[in-house]
Amino acid sequence: MSAEPLVRFKGASLGYGRRAVLTGVDLSVGRGDFLGVLGPNGAGKSTILKTLLGLIRPLKGQVKLSGASGVPRFGYVPQKEKLDVIYPLSVREIAAMGTYRRFALFDRLRGASQDDLVRRCLKECGVLDLAGRRYSDLSGGQRQRVLIARALAAEPELLVLDEPLAGIDVTTQKALLKLFADLKEQKRLTVLMVSHRLQAERDLFTHIAWVADGKADFGAAEKMLAARHITEVFADEP
Amino acid sequence: MNELLAMLKPDFLLHHALYGGVVVGFVCPLVGVYFVLRRLVFWGVALPQVSAAGIAFAFMLQGFGLMLFAGGEAGEKHLAILGAVVFTVAAIVALTWLEQRSPGLSEGRVGALYALAAAASILFVAWNAQGETEMLSLLKGEIVTISESDFHAMLNILLGVSVSMFLFQREFLLVSYDRDMAVALGRSVVLWDGLLYLLIGLTISLGVMTVGPLVIFALLVVPPMVALPWARGMAGLSILASAAGGLCSFAGFYLSYRFDLPLGPLIVASMGGLFALSALVRAFVPRK
Repeated sequence: MSAEPLVRFKGASLGYGRRAVLTGVDLSVGRGDFLGVLGPNGAGKSTILKTLLGLIRPLKGQVKLSGASGVPRFGYVPQKEKLDVIYPLSVREIAAMGTYRRFALFDRLRGASQDDLVRRCLKECGVLDLAGRRYSDLSGGQRQRVLIARALAAEPELLVLDEPLAGIDVTTQKALLKLFADLKEQKRLTVLMVSHRLQAERDLFTHIAWVADGKADFGAAEKMLAARHITEVFADEP
Repeated sequence: MNELLAMLKPDFLLHHALYGGVVVGFVCPLVGVYFVLRRLVFWGVALPQVSAAGIAFAFMLQGFGLMLFAGGEAGEKHLAILGAVVFTVAAIVALTWLEQRSPGLSEGRVGALYALAAAASILFVAWNAQGETEMLSLLKGEIVTISESDFHAMLNILLGVSVSMFLFQREFLLVSYDRDMAVALGRSVVLWDGLLYLLIGLTISLGVMTVGPLVIFALLVVPPMVALPWARGMAGLSILASAAGGLCSFAGFYLSYRFDLPLGPLIVASMGGLFALSALVRAFVPRK
């Protein structure tokens, strides 16, 4: 296995158009890491995520992605509110989107499908029994599990989670955290999680990028959590 | 009943109008579902009008002596189709580009485009008094006089659109439902959006020349709305919407033939009736 990190930002300025939101960003995600990208709302966490996924280009500096064949295979879990529930899609259909990396026209014409993979991912996330249900009829926690199953169906080298616990009740949050911990331990997944909270997730992180005031501080979770300016921000969290 | 049997005979005098209308009825909802799901319903009003402006523009050029295609009347129709496709695709590209540059003002831009296209259609007609009658009949949707070869070419194009909509459904769904996910999976949003827009442009352009802008707007929006509460999955939605569109086109044609009333409004009225029936049944059927 290569020792080179999957992702490395080096002196990167990130932003939209010509406007830099973050400058001098240095961070890396090695294989097996669980990176928490933390910070207050509007600090620029999503800007890091969008740059990583290739939705925007860095304004300056370097963003190097080193997957098995160039850009790593991403499994992406967006904020569930971003997805429009007007679409009459079943849980199975949503999860199957994770397999849409390949064009596979001839497989399609032959009627071949990735059904086994999709079923396995739904099962891992505990929602296989909901496979035939309409996604829009599910609770927030169930929807989040389906989106995680969709990301796993991409057979990712890097799982990217955007605020996965936002708007979810405490019991479901605990269940999802256990799921993330299991994925980290059993599948040795590399994970990047964007969050504006810390308390619930802190034990999962191996590294933290603290995003605030146009900068991103990056380091091992232990060291970052010892920094008072970070823990003070989250002191009032339930 | 006699009228229905007469309509189904191969030597039926208006068979081009019947088959063309029904095929457009089947195909339009296939692209219309993406207008409804992407919440771009007003594009469905504006684009047929833009397409009509493209037809009027092509006729105006011919009025000024510019003939791109040989073959007299057939050449005129080919130029009209080209005008409709170019105008429609250009309008879609412009709207998409503007939406990416300054999101959130979509309705205003579409409204302005509709007004401009309607005004341009009238001006283009006014500048070409020679071909005014034929152009107005085309703008209303006039397929009766189309040649056999052009009629089959149109059916082949619409068949190609239908096959493409099903063949590339997963790509169109992915870029419509979750663009960020599409990029994360390495799929080209520009490519698939571009192909979808081209298919939409072709369908609207041919449809407007067949049944007119009003019916096309209704076919883009109403059948998907009828199908949406009942559908489970994207393929189910497309098939149901397409069936509803084809059925209403046929019913509209029958009523028009039976009672000697204008075709377009009766197709729209049939869709209205089906929509009301669907809503009524839905109200009494408990959701699972």
